[in-house]
Amino acid sequence: MSGVVDLVRAEWTKLLTTKVGYWLVAVGALMAAGFTALFTAFAGEQGGPEGQGIPPVGTEAYGSLVAGVPAQVVVIAVVLGVIGTTQEYRHRTATPTFLVTPRRGRVVVAKLLAYAVVGLVLAVAAVAATVLVATVYGGARGGAPDWTGDTVGTLLRSGLAVVVYTVIGVGAGALVRNQVGAVVGSLVYLFVVEGIIASVPATADAYRWLPGGALAALTGDGRGTDLLGTWEGGLLLLGYGLVAAVLGAVLAVRRDVV
Amino acid sequence: MEVRDLTKTFGSVTAVDSLSFTVEPGQVTGFLGPNGAGKTTTLRMALGLITPDRGTTTIGGTPYAALPRPATRVGAVLETAFHPGRSGRDHLRVYCRAAGLPARRADDVLAQVGLTPAGRRKAGGYSLGMRQRLGLATALLGDPRVLVLDEPANGLDPEGIQWLRGFLRHLAHDEGRTVLVSSHLLAEVEQTADRVVIVGAGKLVREGSLAELRAESVGTVLVRTPATAQLTTALTGAGAAVESTGPGALTVTGLTTEQVGAAAFAAGVELHELRARTSGLEEVYFRLTSGAEQYAAAGGAAS
Repeated sequence: MSGVVDLVRAEWTKLLTTKVGYWLVAVGALMAAGFTALFTAFAGEQGGPEGQGIPPVGTEAYGSLVAGVPAQVVVIAVVLGVIGTTQEYRHRTATPTFLVTPRRGRVVVAKLLAYAVVGLVLAVAAVAATVLVATVYGGARGGAPDWTGDTVGTLLRSGLAVVVYTVIGVGAGALVRNQVGAVVGSLVYLFVVEGIIASVPATADAYRWLPGGALAALTGDGRGTDLLGTWEGGLLLLGYGLVAAVLGAVLAVRRDVV
Repeated sequence: MEVRDLTKTFGSVTAVDSLSFTVEPGQVTGFLGPNGAGKTTTLRMALGLITPDRGTTTIGGTPYAALPRPATRVGAVLETAFHPGRSGRDHLRVYCRAAGLPARRADDVLAQVGLTPAGRRKAGGYSLGMRQRLGLATALLGDPRVLVLDEPANGLDPEGIQWLRGFLRHLAHDEGRTVLVSSHLLAEVEQTADRVVIVGAGKLVREGSLAELRAESVGTVLVRTPATAQLTTALTGAGAAVESTGPGALTVTGLTTEQVGAAAFAAGVELHELRARTSGLEEVYFRLTSGAEQYAAAGGAAS
């Protein structure tokens, strides 16, 4: 499979020779840092629309809240993955790409592998930014989280979610092919559609089976009460990643490149 | 390269209809036809990008998609596709990696197409001619023996077209590569091609050497003489159609320059000028493809 290794490296070269990848990782890290700073700044304050406050620094609840912050970066992860595949259609480089590698399934497999690693880089950046801000700023406010046991577990699962969402993005991009459509579509889905499904009583039950519900179960951010268990949620999320990957690969192989 | 019975229908339009032809090794083959005749679809099917409804294309006996390391066997320029934010050199390095070629090939081919000075600039800022060169460079990465080019002269300025012609001649005649180049203009490949494959409305109209096509073309000869009446009689006697095109000038159809010269000499007529005006190839091409355009102008208006 030396061919696939070459293709994975080609994908990395593609990403490293344009700016979008650097930007998205930077934005992801900034997002994580920003959310952590926000939670830390207002830690201990009561209020909010439903009366629930942010737990004070130094408590276990604050630790697990902050440890879930990297999971917010899944939005960036999806966009990163979507751009990874739709770029080829937007700039019509699918033609030279598939000319060099007529076995198109290999190209998609290489993209999935390459972007799993890229997603890992994004996850590490987000987790590092979170830990840095929570430790320094939280410490300055009187109680950095103690990075042990549950907190670290939540942190790692949040990072894992970022990786899986990157892979889902690659699959979704291969499915839709139109870059603007795929980016807008996934953002609308993540921010609007899942929110509505989760809050409408008739459909709320289905939410736990959706990627968002699985993500919530995996990272334990406490939204909704009847979610799947942590690892069931994680497996379901991985399942979505696999389905997106397989669909993307099959369609890329079967559709004409015109 | 052998195309057999290739057929592709898009909706109700049959873009390519039972098309078969052969591309001979070591020659330049012009793939000609009006716009919409199915040239691009044929080339994309030949290279495994579009799945034909029926038919096969083999390169040295193997379909393109089944070739081991196809980039080292066939190079293709189907469109000038690149990411505008990536430099030309980086673009080439991406495909070096994907094809398992050493990265220095990127610099080799940049030099080959004369793009080295612009190699580190973003491809989005390239002129049309530079983009076309970058496309050619991409095709040459694997040093393939076969090159497939789809309308490479489209949008090029006269200087670019001249460069392209010279470059193709060099690739084919000096380096012995097989070249298949499509165009909607015969004139574009007339100086480069050894053979032509002419299609119209997705069907094969003609396949053969350019010399054969030339043999059936009826050229016109321009001749200037002070004795127009005497020469007209002599040429008409030799079976030519003669038309007066100004004082002391005649346009002769149906005879070669040699035959006109011989007739004038025999008749003892003084000539001031004798030259071939058109080769007649364009007329043959036009006759072969007329009415075969996918969307022919109403009334067959010729431009």
